[in-house]
Amino acid sequence: MSNQTSTNKRENLQGNHACALAAVAAGCRFYAGYPITPSSEIAERMSLELPKVDGVFVQMEDEIASMGAILGASMGGAKVMTATSGPGFSLKQENIGYGVMTEVPCVVVNVMRGGPSTGMPTRPAQGDIMQARWGTHGDHPIIVLTPASVNEIYQQTIRAFNLAERLSTPVVVLYDETIGHLVETVDVAGAQEIELHERKWAAGEADDYLPYQPDDDMVPPMTRPGDGYRTHTTGLTHGEDGFPTQDPDTANRVLSRLYGKLEHNKDIVECFEAMDTEDADILIVAYGITSHAARSAVHDARDKGIKVGLFRPITMWPFPEQALLAAASKARHIVVAEMNAGQLVLEIERLAGRDRVQGLNRYDGEHITPADILSTIEGIA
Amino acid sequence: MSQTKIKCDATGEDLAFNPMEYLREGLFPHFLCPGCGHGIALRAMVWAVHELGIDKNKLAIVCGIGCSGRLGAYVDANTFHTTHGRPLAYATGLKLARPDLHVIVITGDGDCLAIGGNHLIHASRRNLDITCLMLNNEVYGMTGGQVSPTTSADRYTTTTPLGNTEAVFDACKLAEAAGASFVGRELTIQTPSLKNMIRDAIKHKGFSFVEIMSDCTEVFGRKNDLGNSAEMILTQKSTMRPDSYGGNIVDEPFRPNFLPTGVLAQTDRAEYGETYRAAHRAKGSAK
Amino acid sequence: MNKMTSSSEPKNVLIVGVGGQGVILVSKILATLCQQQGFQVKQSEVHGMAKRGGGVFSHVRFGESVWSPTIPKGGADILVALEWAEALRWVNFLKPNDGTFISDTQHIVPPFACLSRKRSAEVGYSRETPDEILAHINDGYAMDATGIARELGNDRAANTVLLGVLSTALEFQADDWRNVISSFVPPKTIDINMKAFDQGRDWALKVKDSPDDAARHLRSEHAVPTVPTKAPYDAHDFVHLDINPAWCKSCDICVKMCPERCLQLDENLKAILSAPDRCTGCRICEWLCPDLAITVYRTPEAAAACA
Repeated sequence: MSNQTSTNKRENLQGNHACALAAVAAGCRFYAGYPITPSSEIAERMSLELPKVDGVFVQMEDEIASMGAILGASMGGAKVMTATSGPGFSLKQENIGYGVMTEVPCVVVNVMRGGPSTGMPTRPAQGDIMQARWGTHGDHPIIVLTPASVNEIYQQTIRAFNLAERLSTPVVVLYDETIGHLVETVDVAGAQEIELHERKWAAGEADDYLPYQPDDDMVPPMTRPGDGYRTHTTGLTHGEDGFPTQDPDTANRVLSRLYGKLEHNKDIVECFEAMDTEDADILIVAYGITSHAARSAVHDARDKGIKVGLFRPITMWPFPEQALLAAASKARHIVVAEMNAGQLVLEIERLAGRDRVQGLNRYDGEHITPADILSTIEGIA
Repeated sequence: MSQTKIKCDATGEDLAFNPMEYLREGLFPHFLCPGCGHGIALRAMVWAVHELGIDKNKLAIVCGIGCSGRLGAYVDANTFHTTHGRPLAYATGLKLARPDLHVIVITGDGDCLAIGGNHLIHASRRNLDITCLMLNNEVYGMTGGQVSPTTSADRYTTTTPLGNTEAVFDACKLAEAAGASFVGRELTIQTPSLKNMIRDAIKHKGFSFVEIMSDCTEVFGRKNDLGNSAEMILTQKSTMRPDSYGGNIVDEPFRPNFLPTGVLAQTDRAEYGETYRAAHRAKGSAK
Repeated sequence: MNKMTSSSEPKNVLIVGVGGQGVILVSKILATLCQQQGFQVKQSEVHGMAKRGGGVFSHVRFGESVWSPTIPKGGADILVALEWAEALRWVNFLKPNDGTFISDTQHIVPPFACLSRKRSAEVGYSRETPDEILAHINDGYAMDATGIARELGNDRAANTVLLGVLSTALEFQADDWRNVISSFVPPKTIDINMKAFDQGRDWALKVKDSPDDAARHLRSEHAVPTVPTKAPYDAHDFVHLDINPAWCKSCDICVKMCPERCLQLDENLKAILSAPDRCTGCRICEWLCPDLAITVYRTPEAAAACA
């Protein structure tokens, strides 16, 4: 919370370990997980770190149970996290929806591997972009962060906790196997130097308290057992009082607010990087490990006199629409490079128009290389 | 309800017990069908809570989905209506994070044994201090009366139009084998005994599993011509055996109404939350 | 045959008590003794009320020849009662002018003496004191035989105490009594039974010729159990059922399960207390109402608050 001069520690860290350390630094005190490649190092590191801070690590019987357990712990008042990969992420989806509906803060890490199904557990992919957005059933908003380096995993994991706690919602941290297992030098901030946001606790009279009555920021203050409020939490569509209702007006009001609270707090939710976009004739959109290749390709293309820029969403969902449109304002061509069969490209087409958008896709367990992107750029230019 | 009324029972023990002090009276009448045994179990549970003098603010009720799952909303406590089959998973997280709470899970035969069966065996194994009340009415009531893992042989349900041919779970044996340190079964018609068993289960340190034989008159009873609610619960009483009955029926095709009642297993195995914390304290956290 | 009683008529001894006290043993001892003395004996009994509290009686008739096995009303020479209320129940079998009444004063209140299942309902037990009874009887002995036996170390020897008293009313030798008793009681208890016999016999001989009826009533230091005549409060007046019709779903459980059958569904199919006078406040309806629609109040304060 302070801005004192840096006493930052520099460490060589693997992406997954950085995620675990960031979680503990952000105040995570409960982790439930299930072993799955390539995210298991997060669970392993948490099992080591949490007892040091009087937290609890538990390896649950399955992916569903670990999602349920972190929601249970969060409803008890703890900051919580779980981590998984594709198949496990699929299993967690129903309970992620419960977290969205009941507005329970939690962080879910998905280290993407090749899919579908068991796919290629040890190979990187970026195939869960749409699942992260629409994985659970029904209309729901969700925050998804896509860090692109170990350092950014550290920062974005902390930010994920802050967003989850401030906005009372599940936050997904989504990165690919490559940066999960990448080792980089990371500034590991001391706890006193990280700005942490805590959950907003109810303070008024219990009789007056409505668990889903929002404040001005559209986020309702939470309670935890023992505070004396004795509230009811249900995944059923509920009114401000927390009890189930099928009244259309109430349902509309309450569900609309779930979207509204993210829209209303767009300033703190959205995050992106725009590089060399001001005059970009061609805009590359890339995220995760692919953005490393794109960055290299942009440099190479610029060296060749081609006006290319890079747009990198760090908050993937809700997608930073205005920022993309601004970055693409001069672009005749937009290339969306991703390690899947074309997922984010759909969103970019929706925003920028299909005519100028094309995908650069690969889903064979191999990376998209700078040369792949550069040749695409040269093909267009 | 007027709080000036004074009550006592035959033994004068519960002079002060008024179930509505532990229930959200404004939500009554509850949504259950006429004659549903779940309501009797609900009373027994809050009666047990009253006898133990548990602070409502420290009481957490975690429910799954189904008729049983709806009971939590009626309890004036910290209540969580979670997802289908998962209340034990949520309760595990809640209890590990908040060991100061009394955590009671209310679940049903489908919720606990079918979709949530994995969580039951692992919660039993882990032995965290959670009280699991499984209301067994032999059927998926809320979805219209489908066969469940405890539906007796030959019973008609909407998905066994020719009678149930599947074998069934003995939930108590399952929980005991998986390591639950308190296992019991009781009938709703034995309300004071049921209250006592729930009370002892809550008091027990470790994972306690209580199978409450409930009755589903509207969809299960009617489909199988089992009579009205009074007849159904009387039949349970006349066919359930006390625990002294023992294992004399092992070779019979399993039917829940031939099961023993009473406290079927109790051990003083170490409670998991304490074990976890003690282990990490003992080894020192600065590693 | 030479020890014939003065009358050629058979002697009639009626032995009564409740299940478990040893009525049959007493009558067997008496019958055996009579037979040994050369009499024809008929013994007729009703037993099988083994559950403690059930009435048991045995007719013993002996004489030169006995035809009928049973004693008619007003025909008993001696009534031996092991329990006070049984004594009173059978007292009209005694010969009105020369019958002998021998009874323990202990009270065993049988379950069926509770005429009402209401809590603290009055018990239907006799209120008469031994003095009141003895005043109306030709020859009577009432004693705390159980208390005496208890002092000797075994309540169950109370019947032998009464045999001691009985021995003074018949013309058999005391040693013959002792021999027969010893042959019937369990060997380990012979000593106690001999003492019990002697205590009963000695006391009876002492008071036999007393002109004072009250002397025939032995008050041991053991208090004779008293019968509760008045409950702390009369439950019947204070039972109040609160039935919330808005919550009642007409499932009928309360109606079917009420042991007193005092609930009904009304014309709207809501449960009502149709026979409040029969309600005992047992609370079964309250416990089993799945809708928590029934509340039973059972104190004077509650009844007043609900009134």
